[in-house]
Amino acid sequence: MTQPATANYLALAEEYLQPYIDQLTRPELFRLDVWVTSARFRDAVQTLFDHQWGYLCAITGVDRPFIAVDPETPAQEDQIEVLYHFAEGEGVVTIHVLLPYSRLSIPSLCDLIPSASMYERELMEMLGVDCVGTPSREKLVLPDEWPDGVYPLRKSFKGLNPVNMEEVS
Amino acid sequence: MATVVSASDQSRFIVPIGPQHPALKEPGHFEFTVDGEIITGASARLGYVHRGIEKGAESMNWTQCLYLLERICGICSHIHSIAYCQGLEKLADIEISPKARAMRTLVAELERIHSHMLWWGVAAHEGGFDTLFMYTWRDREIVMDLLETISGNRVNYSVNVIGGVRLDLSPEQVTKIVSGMKKLEERTKHYLEIVTNDSSFLARTRGIGVMTREEAQRLGAVGPTARASNVCRDVRVDAPYAGYHEYPVKIVTDTAGDLKARFVVRIKELFESYRIITNVAQNMPEGELKARRVPRKIPAGNVISRVEAPRGELFYYIESGGGEGPERIKVRTPTLPNWGSVLTMAAGLRLADVPMLLVGIDPCFSCNDRLIRLNPDGKQQTLTWQQLRDRGIEYYR
Repeated sequence: MTQPATANYLALAEEYLQPYIDQLTRPELFRLDVWVTSARFRDAVQTLFDHQWGYLCAITGVDRPFIAVDPETPAQEDQIEVLYHFAEGEGVVTIHVLLPYSRLSIPSLCDLIPSASMYERELMEMLGVDCVGTPSREKLVLPDEWPDGVYPLRKSFKGLNPVNMEEVS
Repeated sequence: MATVVSASDQSRFIVPIGPQHPALKEPGHFEFTVDGEIITGASARLGYVHRGIEKGAESMNWTQCLYLLERICGICSHIHSIAYCQGLEKLADIEISPKARAMRTLVAELERIHSHMLWWGVAAHEGGFDTLFMYTWRDREIVMDLLETISGNRVNYSVNVIGGVRLDLSPEQVTKIVSGMKKLEERTKHYLEIVTNDSSFLARTRGIGVMTREEAQRLGAVGPTARASNVCRDVRVDAPYAGYHEYPVKIVTDTAGDLKARFVVRIKELFESYRIITNVAQNMPEGELKARRVPRKIPAGNVISRVEAPRGELFYYIESGGGEGPERIKVRTPTLPNWGSVLTMAAGLRLADVPMLLVGIDPCFSCNDRLIRLNPDGKQQTLTWQQLRDRGIEYYR
């Protein structure tokens, strides 16, 4: 059951985001998922912000290592997908940005949305995505002695050796 | 306790508070930059009880995840399992019965009462009002007993299963619930009196930590913290889930935006919970408890599941690759966005206001912290008291 206002909210968001969108889906009645490039990402968020559409609900990072389905498929670079969820009433707009391992950086949102700081710190330490311009790069949840360059939410992470604090391969 | 930051900047003093905390019963580290008694800046360091639950979930199957996620928080365990179950039910296209929806709502509201009463006691304690703390925790036992009567547990009730609930109410339980709610309602009227009239309490709350509506929106505050600043944000109303279509909630807001408003909003919300619980218990729909068949493999796709936990909006993103377990589960708990509001509001307050300010958002560290440290060889490591002591002495040498 979806509330009537939700469809209007989402139509508005779609209109605002139109110039920046590469791809668009509506997985559920109350959702709008859009894919943008990392270059256009800031402008896309800026337009939602300027129109006061919703608030930043959460930032989800998903590791997407390349998995060859059959040997014929040419190998592609591993990627991390960052999902920015914005909510207004019942409606949720998710902006997806795909980042290849070789260019894991995305502009910070903290100057527009100060509360993004906590989410960006989590994204940086858990998945190793660099949020360019973020005000605090201190560890948020991992221990002080956690080694640099080890990101626990990547699929390749299997654990840490407690004796020498090195990643288990 | 105070430390000078650097030789070149001797005017800045940082007062570290925590992780062994003078104000809270859970570990969090805060650094308050002060000018005399006045706070000029604040920062947070969390993670002392981080257990890696998001990572852990990726190596479990869908059923195991239910029990893992329910253990994110001991206070609001049920709401986590609602968020997870309803997300999964959407992915697997399972319709749950009206009875299961009503049961989920009933337990969620009982949980809200227990959470708010627990917070109310802690708040009274931080305000130096320990008599009140003891009264509130005595009264909280009424709802704890009810939860135990229904589910067999005081925390982690395991009421939800994928596709429904596992428990029903007996007529005796209904009678107990209704009379319990009546008793609590009487007591809560008295508490509302205290929070709005008691002069010593008001001195600690009125006009302190004011957050305007615009600030609350800008900082992304959620739950009672946002509603106390007149932001009408409540997932139960905005996007009704479980049984909130059939048993709608009236949103409680306040315009003041100070600590007092945050206290009043939570206490007034309790009356709504009593009303809903009584209504659900007396008008429990007939029907099946759970869906007959739940697939072991969940179709590929992703869902967003939002629910209103006692502390505010709880957000789940669940992704299935079509297998027996999740590809990714992201949990954004309500305390995380609320920290931002506290750290910003702290500037300009006195250091002595900090405990009340912190308690004003009802912070929950289990909310933030989710990481397990496991030995890679799978062996458990046990330390004797002497070993622990030696290790401590060595560490701080």
